[in-house]
This record gives sequence, structure tokens and C-alpha cells, in this order.
Amino acid sequence: MNMRTLGRWSGAVTAVVTALTLTSCGLNEGQDASKPAGGDSSTTLRIGTTTDVANFNPLQSLSKTDNWILNAMYPHLLRIDGDAKKVPELASKYTHEDGGKSVVFTLRDDFVWSDGTPVTSADVKYSAETIMKNKLGNVAAKLTWVEGIEAPDATTVVFKLSRPYAPFAEGVGFWMSIVPKHIFEKAGDITKFANNSDWVGAGAYILKSATPGQRYVMTRNDKYPYAPAGGAAVDTVEYRLYPDVNTMQLALRNGDIDLMGTPVPASAIASFSGDEKIKLQEVGSLGFAHITYNVTNEHLARPKVRQALSMVVDTKSIISTVLQGEGSPMTGPISPIFAEYDNAELQPYPFDPAAARKLLEEDGYADKNGDGKLDGLSFEMVCDQSNPNLTRVAQVVREDAAKAGVELVASCVERNTFLSRTKSGDYDLDVSQWAVFDNPMDQLRSTYLSSNPGGINYNLVKDPKLDKLIDEAAVTTDHDKFAGKIKDLDAYVHEQALLTPLYVEKIQFAYNAGKFTGFQPSPSDLLGMVTGYSLSQVRPVG
Amino acid sequence: MAEFIARRAMRAILTIWIAVTVTFFLLRLLPGDPTLLVVEGDMTPEMQQALREQYGLDKPMLTQYWLYLTELARGNLGTSFRQLQPVTDIIVSRLPWTALLAGSAFVLTIVLGIPLGVYAAAHRGKRVDRVVQMFGITGHALFVPSIGILLLVVAGSWLGWFPIGGAIDPDTRGADAYVSLLHHLALPLLSLVVVQLGPYALTLRTNMLEVLGEDYIKSARGRGLSPQRTLWRHALRNAFLPALTLMGLQLGTLVGGAVLTETVFAYPGVGRLIYEAVGQLDYPLLQGAFIMLAITVVVANLITDVISMLLNPRIRA
Repeated sequence: MNMRTLGRWSGAVTAVVTALTLTSCGLNEGQDASKPAGGDSSTTLRIGTTTDVANFNPLQSLSKTDNWILNAMYPHLLRIDGDAKKVPELASKYTHEDGGKSVVFTLRDDFVWSDGTPVTSADVKYSAETIMKNKLGNVAAKLTWVEGIEAPDATTVVFKLSRPYAPFAEGVGFWMSIVPKHIFEKAGDITKFANNSDWVGAGAYILKSATPGQRYVMTRNDKYPYAPAGGAAVDTVEYRLYPDVNTMQLALRNGDIDLMGTPVPASAIASFSGDEKIKLQEVGSLGFAHITYNVTNEHLARPKVRQALSMVVDTKSIISTVLQGEGSPMTGPISPIFAEYDNAELQPYPFDPAAARKLLEEDGYADKNGDGKLDGLSFEMVCDQSNPNLTRVAQVVREDAAKAGVELVASCVERNTFLSRTKSGDYDLDVSQWAVFDNPMDQLRSTYLSSNPGGINYNLVKDPKLDKLIDEAAVTTDHDKFAGKIKDLDAYVHEQALLTPLYVEKIQFAYNAGKFTGFQPSPSDLLGMVTGYSLSQVRPVG
Repeated sequence: MAEFIARRAMRAILTIWIAVTVTFFLLRLLPGDPTLLVVEGDMTPEMQQALREQYGLDKPMLTQYWLYLTELARGNLGTSFRQLQPVTDIIVSRLPWTALLAGSAFVLTIVLGIPLGVYAAAHRGKRVDRVVQMFGITGHALFVPSIGILLLVVAGSWLGWFPIGGAIDPDTRGADAYVSLLHHLALPLLSLVVVQLGPYALTLRTNMLEVLGEDYIKSARGRGLSPQRTLWRHALRNAFLPALTLMGLQLGTLVGGAVLTETVFAYPGVGRLIYEAVGQLDYPLLQGAFIMLAITVVVANLITDVISMLLNPRIRA
């Protein structure tokens, strides 16, 4: 074989491979379905997202893109409004009976599955029982005390609990997707049910086609009861994939998409200021950044050490430098968005390294060898390096702690390692961020109860007094008394300095205000601008 | 020749088995627990255990390994932890895009790299040679995502010549769809070629310079063969052999490089699949993707070995 022959063969092979590749790429994949339902005059809203849908089964999917698409397709008993309050969606109301041991949801009668079957209490009962039976997702933990579920008529569902739990209705109502029983019960083993075609939903939009790696196309559900009179103005919602958020920003500027589904990073907010057509929409946050202390460490078990460490955290400086002003401070463990539960009387620990050192010396610590460090006070501070803000916070806190005689060694590691280490208690201090807590009771119970029911008591705290306060609050179904008990808990955790809150980061979404308006945002980036309810209210400009 | 190919094929199978084994255990040595990444927030120990059982992670590691090998021998790569779909289906749906991107980059690199390398060697020390050398060194130093963002900002956003990410415009049909496909392919392809082309041309140039100093080339010239014929028919044939081996290895590098390119350009290939699966510790999907990469490299090397043998029968020995 000579070079010329080889060249001919290479050319022929290349041509064949290219032709096959082009063909197998499926140039028309998903195209028919992505054509707007109403023809050329219909309206399509294009949303950028960073990840594919990992799992189309709403009973066990939890990634953000899953949430966005599935939230728009499957109804929930309650939804969250812009002020983090739970408001009716499929359920028109709920009541507590039998001293809080029965929670009764009354359903609307005008929700209909897209195949024409009415949504009834049987669907709710089936969804909850399937989750309990198969221990699916985080909703299973919220159904822990359920002893039985009754559906006495088509619009009533009764959850019988082994003990009252004040935020039960809110937790289950907000988190649990309701699926069509008549479809899902035919699927066999639900843990293996991918639900990746022929979708039947009852939310504002129904998925029509999915082209992994490229786009997900949803079309309007004309039977969605919360749509404005005459139906939602947006006929088609198309999610487009941009794994790199910088590329997504360029796509928004270029007009390739109309909304960034993911929040704009603080460092990129200024870059949108000169663009008149792009508007930034701020939403509340259901999470916050904080420092957690591992109280199994003999020094960190002492409240004064934790209080002193809280005094070396300059939150104002962190917000102005690390977050470039795109955040706000908070005091105590309850996010300010839960205004009725946040104890406004709490005073933050002052930033004062000298006073912190004095407090530690009063507690018996001394610098015997004269190296400027208090003996025994050397801690490893772990953080998740995928969050650049927290990596920088760790550096700032380390420098300020040194002024108080405390040595902090920052170990910022990749996310999986970070999760593994914090989960197993292999750390001293942990700089991290709670992403979403939709109610303070779940948060306090999960993070501080000694039995560690949710597996996220990263402090590893075992405090009988704290346990008692949590247990008492959890069974208080009278709203005002319940709020009072949460405020007491807020004060106790703050006084004990079990965590040092750092900031509540502003969450801002960018969209093309020259083309669309009317979004109804929810707090947090979990759902943000793209709940089914929000999308159904969007309308074109002009 | 049949014996040569059989020997090489056996070696390829052994290499793939080693790659499968290393990948299997390496992934499980990674810090973190895939079940922790499924649920953020509340997850009782019972739920975590249920997930472990669902994923098959409750069994001893050697048992998991044996089960995996058994299924692999049947052509079953398992089911994705997160997507609950067969790994083979997921990879096959993405493979054509990576094949198109990496394959095009491979072909372009060779088609442009060979003449560039030969031309630079033939004009040693002249301007064109210096440019090729500079291009080669720059290619080594460049980082694919940086070039990608630069191309997106300049050619996509400022000039508006190319789309910002994606693989095809969904509203196009027929011939327009092919145009749209090439339009979307241009920037990711360019960013890969820019990185690969220079070093490849430089390698070929070095090989050519060595060959051009050999006695048989001088002899050919002495016998009156034209400089062009000497260069392209005699010198290149011998300089091409080491470059051919490099081509096999380069294909693996290209497919690996696609991870970053596909992420920046929102291109829907296997590279991006790997990027997402790493974050989710989706072992079956990662194993499947890595095995696919290993097979690509091994098969490419097998092919280059065979071509080398055809070009140079002394290798058969």
C-alpha cells in the first residue's frame, strides 16, 4: 500500500464516518414536538439551564433542572409564594384535627390530568404511600409520622399521624409531587420507573419532548386552573442546556434565551448593568452561609470558644468584599425571610478579635510559649471549594482568627469529599451554605436534634435542653405559640453559638425584559422564576 | 499478517480489561458517597440504606466487580444511578455528537497538519518554519476552555457570526439543518483544532528533518528525483510512521479534550455527560463512558498499528 492508496482509503473512510455520524446525530430529533403548538404566531419562552434532567420520576428526582421541569408538570398540595409563605395549589385549604394528629387537606375539584382524568384524593394517597413504601427522596422523611392515609371522598385527604408535627402540612404540601395513580401504578417497580416518555401531568406545562444534552420542550396545559382567563400567554417553554454559566450569560445577551434559570453569579451582576433589555429580578433566599462547629472537639464543646470564634467573623467586610455587596447579614439560625419566626431581639456577636482573645483567656486559655497563639486552639476549617465565595470567606476568617490567637487551617476540598467529611464529623469547623430550608422547624429539628433524624446534625450536638425545646415546638399546632417557641429556639442556638451565620446571599435572575414580563418568583434558586405558576403568568411585552 | 493482527487484538482486549478494572476500583476509591448526592437535606439512615441496595452498593466490592464484569461480558453496562436508564442507551444517544466533533477535529488536524509539517521542514529556518514552530508551542500552552470563551465572546457575541452554544437550531429542516449543524460545530471544532494542529505539525516537522538528513534521501536526490517527489513520496513515508502512532494517541486526547470543549460550548456529547456524572458520582455512567474512551484509544492504536505494518512490513517481525 503506498501513500496515495492510503490517502484514498482515508478519504473514503472519513466520508463514510462523517455521513453516518451526521445521520445518527438525528438532525430532526425532537423537532416536531419543539415546534410551537400554535404555529408561527405562538409564543415560546426559552430558559437556560446548566444540567440535564437526571430523572423524570418526580417521586425521586431532586436535581434543580428536574425540579423546574417537573414542578411545572406535576401539582403540589401547596406552593410557596414570594414571601416564603405556603399558599394553596392543588389543596384549597388544610386543617388540623385530633390535637394535630390528623391533618386534613381539601382539594380543588378543577385540576385535570392532561389525558382528561380528574386529579383526586386517590392520586394524593397513592403518591404519599408510594414514597413511604419505597423511602423515596427527602419527602419520605417528612412522612415519618404517618400511620395511615384516608381518602373519604374525591377532594379530601386525611393524614393520620402518630404524633402532631406542626409544619407537617407545609412540608408535605410543598415538597410532595402528586403523580397520576392510573399511570404510575402500572409502571411496576417505581424505584426503576424512569418516566421518560408519554408524560401525563396536571401542572401549567406538560413536557412534550426531551433531547438530552440539548433541550426540553414543554407545551401549555389549557386545563391549568391558575392560568389567567383565556389561558397562559406563553404557549411553549423551551429549556436549553448551557453547562457553563458564562456561556449562558452570552446566550441571554445574544437573544438565544429569554431567561437564565440559574441565578446570576455575584461577580457577573455588574456586567448586565449596561444592557437595557436585561432586567435583574431579586428573589428571597431560603438558605444562608454559616460556620458550623463540631462540638465533639473538646475545645469547640465549650460555648465560650464558639462565642469567641463568632467574634472573629467580620460579616460586614465579607459581604462588601467577597459578595461585592450582594448579600445581607443575619443573626441567629433563622433566615430573615421567615419574619414571623426570626427573633428580632437577638444581637449579633460583635466583630472584635481583641475581645475574643480576652474571652478565651478568661476561659482558661493562655499563650505559654509566647508564639502569639493560644495553646490548644488550632482547628481545621473545611469548606466546599466549588463555592468560590466560601473559599474566600475561609481565608478572611483565618486571618482574623489569628489576631485572636486562634489558628485556623483552611482545607477547601472538592464537593464530594466535603460532604463525606462533614457527614462523618471529620472536621472542626465547617464553612458551608444551607441551600433550602422551607420552614424553620424542619431546619432546627434536622440540624440540632441529638437523634439526628435527617442526618444533618453536623454539629453532632447532644443537648437535652435543646432536644426538649425542639420536641415541644414540634407538637405545638397553635400558630402563635409555635412561632414563640421557634423564637426561643432561635435565641438558645444563638446564645450557644452553635453556628455563626455569615450572610444571606442575594439571589438574582436575569431575563429579557424587552420580550417578557409577569414572572411570579419564589424564594431560593430551587424554583426561582420557573414554577409552573410563575410561567403561567408570564406574558410577552407589547 | 493475520497472526500479527490477532496478537495486537489480544493485547487490545487485555488493555481494555485493565482499563475496566482500574476504572471500577478507582471510582469507588473516590471520596464521597453517591447516595449522599441524591438527597440534600433530610435523609434518614434507612433511606440511605435503601438507596445503597438499589444501587447495588451494599454488596462487597469484589462481588460488585464480578457482577459488573459478568454483565459487561453480556454487553450490559448497567443502569445509571440518577437517570434510571441503561448506560448504553445514554452513551449511544450522545456518542454521535462527540464522534462528529472529535472526528472532525482529528481529520482536520491531519489534513492540515501533514502539509504544514512537511512544508515547514522543507523550508527550515525560513519564516513559514518559524510560524509553524511558534504555532506548535502556542498550541501546547493554550487551555481549551480559555480559547472557547474567547471565541464565543468575539465570534459569537461581538461579531455575531456564530451561535452561542448548542449543536443545531431546532427549527431548521433538510439542507438547512446540515448548515445549522456545521454552523454550530465551527467554534468548538476550531478551539480543538487550534490546540491540536500546531503540536502535530511540529512533530511531523521534526520527523521530516531527521529523515531529510538520511543517506537514502540524498541518494534519491542524486539520482535526479524531483525535490517534490523526494519530499512527498520518500521522506514523508518514513517520517509519517512515528506521526501515525501519535495520531492514535491523539484521538484519545481529542475525545478527552471534548469534556471541556463540550461543556463550554454546550455541545451535547459524551464529554459533557462525563462532566455531569462526575459531580453526581454516577458510577455506572462514568464506568461506561470511560470504557468507551478506553476502547476508542485502544482501537485507534490497533488501527494505527495495522496501518504502520502495511506501510512498513519490517514491523510484522
